[in-house]
Amino acid sequence: MKQRNTTPPRIAQKLLLRFLRADLAEEVLGDLDEKFYQSLKEKHPFRAKANYWFQVLNYARPFAIRRSTRNLTHYDMYQTYFKIGWRNLLRQKMYSIIKIGGFAFGIAVCLLISLYIKDELSYDQNLINHQRVFRIYAEFEDNGTVQRDTWWHAPFASTLKIDYPEVEDAARINAVPLFGAGSKEFRRAEIPDNSYDDGFVYADASILKLLEIPMVYGSTEALNAPKTIVLSRRKAEKYFPHENPIGKLVVLNNDDKNPFTVAGVMEDRPSNSHFQYDFLITLKNFEFWPGEGTSWCCTNYQTYVLLKPDTDPRAFQEKVTRGTIQKYILPQLIKDGVPNPEELLKKAQLGLQPIADIHLDSHIKDGLSHADRKTILIFGGIALFVLVIACINFINLSTAKSANRAREVGIRKVVGSVRQDLIQQFLTESMIVSLLAFLLGLLLAALLMPSFNTLVAKSLSIPYFDWHALAIFVLAIFGVGLVAGLYPSFFLSHFKPIEVMKGSLSKGSKGSNLRGALVVFQFTISIVLIVGTLVISQQMNFVLNQKIGFVKDQVLILQGTGTLDKQIESFKNELKDLPSVQSVTVSDYLPVKGTKRNGNTFRNKDTQKEERGIFGQNWVVDVDYVKTMGMQLVAGRNFDERIASDSAGAIINQAMARQLNLSDPVGKVITNGREYTVLGVVEDFHFETMRQNVEPLMMRLGKSASMMAIKLQSPHMTQAIDEITGKWNKFSPHQPIRYSFLDESYAAMYDDVHRTRQIFTAFSLVAIAIACLGLFALSAFMIEQRTKEIGIRLVLGASVTSVFRLLTFNFLLLVFISIIVATPIAWYLMSRWLQDFAYRVELSAGVFVLAGLSAVAVALGTVGYQSWRAGLMRPVESLRSE
Amino acid sequence: MIETRLGEFEEVILLFVGILGEGAYAFKIAEEFERQTGRAISIGATHSTLDRLEKKGFLKSAMGEATAERGGRRKRIFTITALGKRVLKESRDFRMSLWNQYPALSGKINIA
Repeated sequence: MKQRNTTPPRIAQKLLLRFLRADLAEEVLGDLDEKFYQSLKEKHPFRAKANYWFQVLNYARPFAIRRSTRNLTHYDMYQTYFKIGWRNLLRQKMYSIIKIGGFAFGIAVCLLISLYIKDELSYDQNLINHQRVFRIYAEFEDNGTVQRDTWWHAPFASTLKIDYPEVEDAARINAVPLFGAGSKEFRRAEIPDNSYDDGFVYADASILKLLEIPMVYGSTEALNAPKTIVLSRRKAEKYFPHENPIGKLVVLNNDDKNPFTVAGVMEDRPSNSHFQYDFLITLKNFEFWPGEGTSWCCTNYQTYVLLKPDTDPRAFQEKVTRGTIQKYILPQLIKDGVPNPEELLKKAQLGLQPIADIHLDSHIKDGLSHADRKTILIFGGIALFVLVIACINFINLSTAKSANRAREVGIRKVVGSVRQDLIQQFLTESMIVSLLAFLLGLLLAALLMPSFNTLVAKSLSIPYFDWHALAIFVLAIFGVGLVAGLYPSFFLSHFKPIEVMKGSLSKGSKGSNLRGALVVFQFTISIVLIVGTLVISQQMNFVLNQKIGFVKDQVLILQGTGTLDKQIESFKNELKDLPSVQSVTVSDYLPVKGTKRNGNTFRNKDTQKEERGIFGQNWVVDVDYVKTMGMQLVAGRNFDERIASDSAGAIINQAMARQLNLSDPVGKVITNGREYTVLGVVEDFHFETMRQNVEPLMMRLGKSASMMAIKLQSPHMTQAIDEITGKWNKFSPHQPIRYSFLDESYAAMYDDVHRTRQIFTAFSLVAIAIACLGLFALSAFMIEQRTKEIGIRLVLGASVTSVFRLLTFNFLLLVFISIIVATPIAWYLMSRWLQDFAYRVELSAGVFVLAGLSAVAVALGTVGYQSWRAGLMRPVESLRSE
Repeated sequence: MIETRLGEFEEVILLFVGILGEGAYAFKIAEEFERQTGRAISIGATHSTLDRLEKKGFLKSAMGEATAERGGRRKRIFTITALGKRVLKESRDFRMSLWNQYPALSGKINIA
């Protein structure tokens, strides 16, 4: 032991010998040894060793470090390539700026979109068990169309656990606003003031474990006691700042008698998860109505399962389909007296949806917002196109400019350069450009990031320190540099010296076919994007100005009125008396997203034994609803509070009448279990987005009091709001007023369309800008090449217009070809996009004409300016050197 | 181009080479420097200065004998050249002339 302690550290010695000049090794090692043994006499061995290291590192000085042993010729060659490449960039500033700037622009766009796509694809991938966690959906054929949804019966999850050994765990959530999920008034039990909050969901205790939700306070067993609630970190911070809220009581919707105990705090949900809730309320020992837990009547729960390892999901899916239908669903249908239940269930099936697919599958109804694969594909396509356009510019400009370097190539070959060296040289140059462009692109992307985030409604950031991303970035620099430089380098290096020297190589003419094709390609993409932008705008305007069956303007929606409880009638009456208010209705069911929905099966009473029944909405309204929403009665009458039997009456929409085959609906009786006499029929109104047809709907009288809609008198908007606020504060001093406008809520339903429009607009602008840059540089170059020709033409009497025509004609021809190519592509793509909408605009020729014209205009603008200048120049300037 | 002026640190090192005579090699010089000035210096820094002084022509060097505590390795012994001596002398004379022009202190060299 002691022996080993007294020698100088080996690694330090090795290190020293690695970098030290060989001729110094002996004396330096000797000196250091001497120093080491000397300090060993006075100090602890560790200190001596540390000192040795210090001494070694101190030899890292220029005089002592050995010279590079690399192959000098090779190294020098690359040095000159760099130098020449750099000089070339500096000499032609405009081309360089367009080349690098356009490239950087393309890269920035590509980078932003890749980050977006990466984020979209990363949803719920971080679960350890994400391959074993599934959400169960139902698939059934309804009149020829396949419907998929995720709503299940209350006992379904527990039967899964009992009936199938493959199931390790199962959990349900109830996210239906009808049952109180979504938004609520929330407060700590000891504080009187309510706060409105969002993100409430009812969940089984095991959901925490199943979805691997990390906890800040409490365990994943937190929800295992009745009347408990788990908050997210940010909400805990909001209501219980700087304290551990476990054991504290909270009150929901002002219901003092039923407080909940905070049993845990979970980490905030990551933005890339489909499961976005802030308050989990336990379903332990809880039923929304007596007997719910064992009833197979109603489907309100989304059900997740964790399968045991090595379970084949497909086989399990088959097994569970047969099992559940036979054991539970069929008996229920027979009990309900549904005709032909076996026939009906033949077309039904259960499906397992891997949790990581939830975000991307938009065809399974679940009430969440999704990214659909189509959008991602379109985005990816755009990113690729923009990058390709930028690459094309690069190739185009390089080959066009090549003639200027033909002589350099010739000389290099004559003095002994082989083709390989030349290829290397030009590749090096394109690598320099690529590197510069990438750095600039990164800078651009960082600058554009905030606006891009608003555009796509995400919070992305550039992963500077992710080595993965870094590796891809470096690879991309080389990859793009290689691809973009490959053609020019092979093209340039094949010149024959003798031809170049004789000057017989016609300048820049070679490869002009290719250049033409590339210009056509660029403009095709641009035109397709322009058409896309126009069509999306048209559809957007169509949707927002469509006759929607109700009047959305000047309607105020008052939320959180449920806490008024019994006072709501008097509050409503006081509001009605205000001069600025036309009418008031109390109902949670409004024709905009985010309000309540309640789907039932309806039948015509007379024919209910034979018919399957149709799916429709069952809305609870009051007598003023039709008036306040400005709906049109096409038959019958409105509810009348003086007629007692109206409480068993209903107003249906035209779709309901149509689907139940009621030609004269007024007075007929329809049933969803309870019977209602039809009092009137309203014109169909859109209460979902226009992607869907108007569903059948029935309205009946009743109390659903958490929302009020108030129709205002037009000239008194601000005054009306002041008055309503005054009344509210009188009735509900502990809860701030919360209102929105119906037309804004309606517009919000089309946020995604709006966003798609903005994105398309932005990207078509980018694509067009890059294409224009390329065209600009290319035409500038062409004109430069023909300066002398133009000079001679002008001397011989050509007019400015004829020169202009001569120079622009070729480019316009290319643009026309692009229009011809782009039209069918754009037509196909946009009709596919429009198919998603049940109500849509027709594709008109006008759109294509407009897109074509703007492409021509843009091309004419870029080329024309330069052609015009060429036509106006004085021939002396270009010819005097001859 | 090699600088032929003498820096302050270089002058001190050069003097140490003269003082140590036959025993003037990098480790010894560094040790002597530390002992007499109380300032820590690495052997590498000393060596680099010695190397520079040799390039300027103020020193010359030759490999000396090996000893056991160096693991049987030889050491490089530095000696002052004639040029080095002249530069040292010039430097001292220049300073002396400056001191003599300093009225308050001319005559008594010790500074409190």
